Amino acid sequence: MSLSEKYRAKKYEDIVKQDKAIDEVKSFLKQFPKKKSLILYGPAGTGKTSLVLAAARENNLEILELNSSDLRNRAKLEETLRPAAQQRSLFKKGKILLMDEVDGVTGTDTGGIPELVRVINSTHYPIIMTCNDVWQSKLSPVRQKSKLVEMKPLDVGTIISLLMKITEKENLDKSPYFLKQIAIKSQGDTRAAINDLESYSETDEFTIDLTEKRDVQASIFNILRRLFKERQDFIRLFDNSELSLDQIFLWIEENIPKEYSGRELAKAYAALASADVFRGRIYKNQSWRFLIYQNIFQSAGISYAKDSPLGGFTKYERPKRILKIWLNNQKIAKKKTISKKYARFVHCSTKRIMRDFPILTPMLKQEDVQKKLRFSDEEIAYVNGLK
Amino acid sequence: MNHINIWTEKYRPVTFDEMVGQQEILKRVRSLVQAMNIPHLMFAGPAGTGKSTLALIIVKELFKEKWKENYLELNASDERGIDVVRQKVKDFARTKAIENIPFKVIFLDEADALTKEAQQALRRTMENYSNTCRFIMSCNYSSRIIDPIQSRCVVFRFKLLEKKDIKKRIEVIAENENLNITEKAYDAVYESSEGDCRKAINLMQATAAISPDITEDMILMVSSAAKPADMKIVLDYALAGDFLGARDKLLDTMLKESVSGTEIIKGIQKEIWNLEIEPSIKVRLTEKTGEAEFRMIEGSDEFVQLQALLASFVLAGKGES
Repeated sequence: MSLSEKYRAKKYEDIVKQDKAIDEVKSFLKQFPKKKSLILYGPAGTGKTSLVLAAARENNLEILELNSSDLRNRAKLEETLRPAAQQRSLFKKGKILLMDEVDGVTGTDTGGIPELVRVINSTHYPIIMTCNDVWQSKLSPVRQKSKLVEMKPLDVGTIISLLMKITEKENLDKSPYFLKQIAIKSQGDTRAAINDLESYSETDEFTIDLTEKRDVQASIFNILRRLFKERQDFIRLFDNSELSLDQIFLWIEENIPKEYSGRELAKAYAALASADVFRGRIYKNQSWRFLIYQNIFQSAGISYAKDSPLGGFTKYERPKRILKIWLNNQKIAKKKTISKKYARFVHCSTKRIMRDFPILTPMLKQEDVQKKLRFSDEEIAYVNGLK
Repeated sequence: MNHINIWTEKYRPVTFDEMVGQQEILKRVRSLVQAMNIPHLMFAGPAGTGKSTLALIIVKELFKEKWKENYLELNASDERGIDVVRQKVKDFARTKAIENIPFKVIFLDEADALTKEAQQALRRTMENYSNTCRFIMSCNYSSRIIDPIQSRCVVFRFKLLEKKDIKKRIEVIAENENLNITEKAYDAVYESSEGDCRKAINLMQATAAISPDITEDMILMVSSAAKPADMKIVLDYALAGDFLGARDKLLDTMLKESVSGTEIIKGIQKEIWNLEIEPSIKVRLTEKTGEAEFRMIEGSDEFVQLQALLASFVLAGKGES
C-alpha cells in the first residue's frame, strides 16, 4: 500500500485545516433531505474523497462509489446509481452515494449529467460529488441542485507537519529542509507531497528542483489572486488554466471593481482596454505576434495599476456579462425577427429598425401591417403586448 | 402605390419631381437616366436624406413596371459577410436584363459597413459583372469606402434636409391623412428630426396615432419617449462615484435598446457639456471619449472600451482627471 493510501484521513479529526468544509458536510447529512446533493470542489489532494469516506465512517454509513474509471453514461447510471438511490442498504442503516470526479463525465458519457439530475431528484440517500472545477458550464444543472462546499489548498506549514508525522511513524530520517522543499513543491496538494516523500525517501537526499512543479491546473480564482495580490510570474500566469484567454479576460473585467477604486480603477481598465485593442488587431489581421502584448496588459498592466500589492481576501465573482447578453438575446428574439421583416419592406437595415423600435411600435400594431409583413402569431402577440 | 399604412413607404417619392432637397444631384441624375445609361453611382450622406429613394426612382424610371425583376437591393450591414453578397450578386447578374436596357441595377445600402477586405473583394465583383450590372452604393461617409471603388463610381454627396424641405413632405402627408398641425409643431418635428426625413415622418405617424390634431407638446412628448439611450443617468452614476451602478445601467441600456458602442460614445460626447463639472475636466473627458471611440475601431470588444471610459468619469467626479 502506498503511503498516501496508508495515511489517508479516516476520521474527521484526521482531516486538517478544513474545519469549515467538515461542518458543511455534517450539517448537510443532518439536514438531508432538505438538500439532496452536495458538491465538494477544490484542487487535487485537498481531501475531498477522504472527507466523504470519513463522513461515512463517522456516521456508520455504507458508501456506494462510482469514479471516473467507470463509464458514466446514462445507461450505466440508470443501471447502478438509480436502484442504489432507491433500495435500502443491506447491513448498515444508510448509505452515501459518492460520485467521484464529476468533472470527468465527458462527451462519451452521453446523457450522464441529465441522468444524474434525475437521480438527485428521486434519491432516498444523500449524494456527494467531488470535482476540481465546479464552474464548468456542463455542471450547471447539477450545481443548481446541490450545496457547494469548497476545499482550499493547504498551506506549506500544515503539509510540513503532516509530513513530519509520517516520517516519525515510518521511521524515515529526513531533514526539515527536505520536507519543506517537498511541501513547497506540492502547492497545497497533500497527496502529491506524500507521494514525493515516498519516491524520494529511497534515494539519497538531494535538492529538489523547485522549478519542476506539478502542472497544477490553476483555477481561475488562483489566477485572479496571483494577478491582483501576488504579482508574480506574469508571462506564464495564464498558461496552466483550462479557461481561454478570452474567458479569463471576462473574469478580470468583472472583478476589477472588487479590487480597485478611483485612480487605480481607471488605470486598470485602461490596461484592459489596451489589451483589447491588441486582441482586436490579432483577430482582424491574424497577427498572433501581438498576443504577447495582450498578455502583458491583461496581467502586469492590471496588477501594477496599484502602487503596492494588495492584501486580504477577495471573493471573486463569475463574469455576468455574457449571461446578460444571452438572456437579452432570448428576450429580444421576437423584436429582431419583426425588425428584419419590417426593414426589408422599408428599405432599411435591421439594425436601424431595432434602434428606432420604440417610435415604430404604433405602426407595427396595425393589423394590416402585421398581415402584409406576415408576422407570426408570437410576433403579433409580442408587438401588441408593448406599451 | 402601397396600400399599407406605413407612411415612410406610403409617401416615399416615386418621381424626381416629388423629391425634396438635393436639387443639384437630381438634375444630374435625371439627365443620366434620360440617356438610358448610368455609370456606377455612389450616394454618400446622412440617413434619411433620400439615397434609397433616389435609387428606387432611378430603377423605376429606367425599367418602368418591370423594375422589380431588374433590381436587387442588399443591405451590407444585414448580410452575413462578403461571400453572401457575392453569391447574391452572382445569381442576380447571371441572367440578362430584359427591355432595351443592357444592364441590371444592384443597390448596395450601407456599403461602409463592409470591411476593407470585403470591399476589395467587392471591387473584383464589380469588374467581373460590369457588362451586365450597375452598382448604386450608399454610405454615410465616402471616406470609409476604399479608393478603387470610389474611382469607379460617380459620387454624389447628399446633404441634410432643410426645414422647408421636410415641411413640404409633411404637408403632403397632413393633407392626405387629414391632420391638423400647428406651425410650432412643424418646428418641433424638424428640430427633433435633425434633417432626417425618415425620422420626421415616423415621428409624425407615431404622434398621429394618438390624435389627428398635432401640437408642439405632443411632438415633444412622443419624441422624448422614443429617444434612444439616455446617457445622462449612466454618467450621473459614474460622477457620483458608483462605478458598478454606471456599468450595469450602461449594459442594460445597450442591450435593451439595441444600440451599438459607437452610438453610446456619441451620446456620451454630447452629454459631457451638459455635466456640472469644471470646463477643464470636460476637455480632458472629451479627449478620453475620442480616444475610446478610436480604440473601439481597433479593438474587439466595445464594452471594454466603454468601461474604461466610465472609470475616467468616476475619477472626474472626484475632481481629478
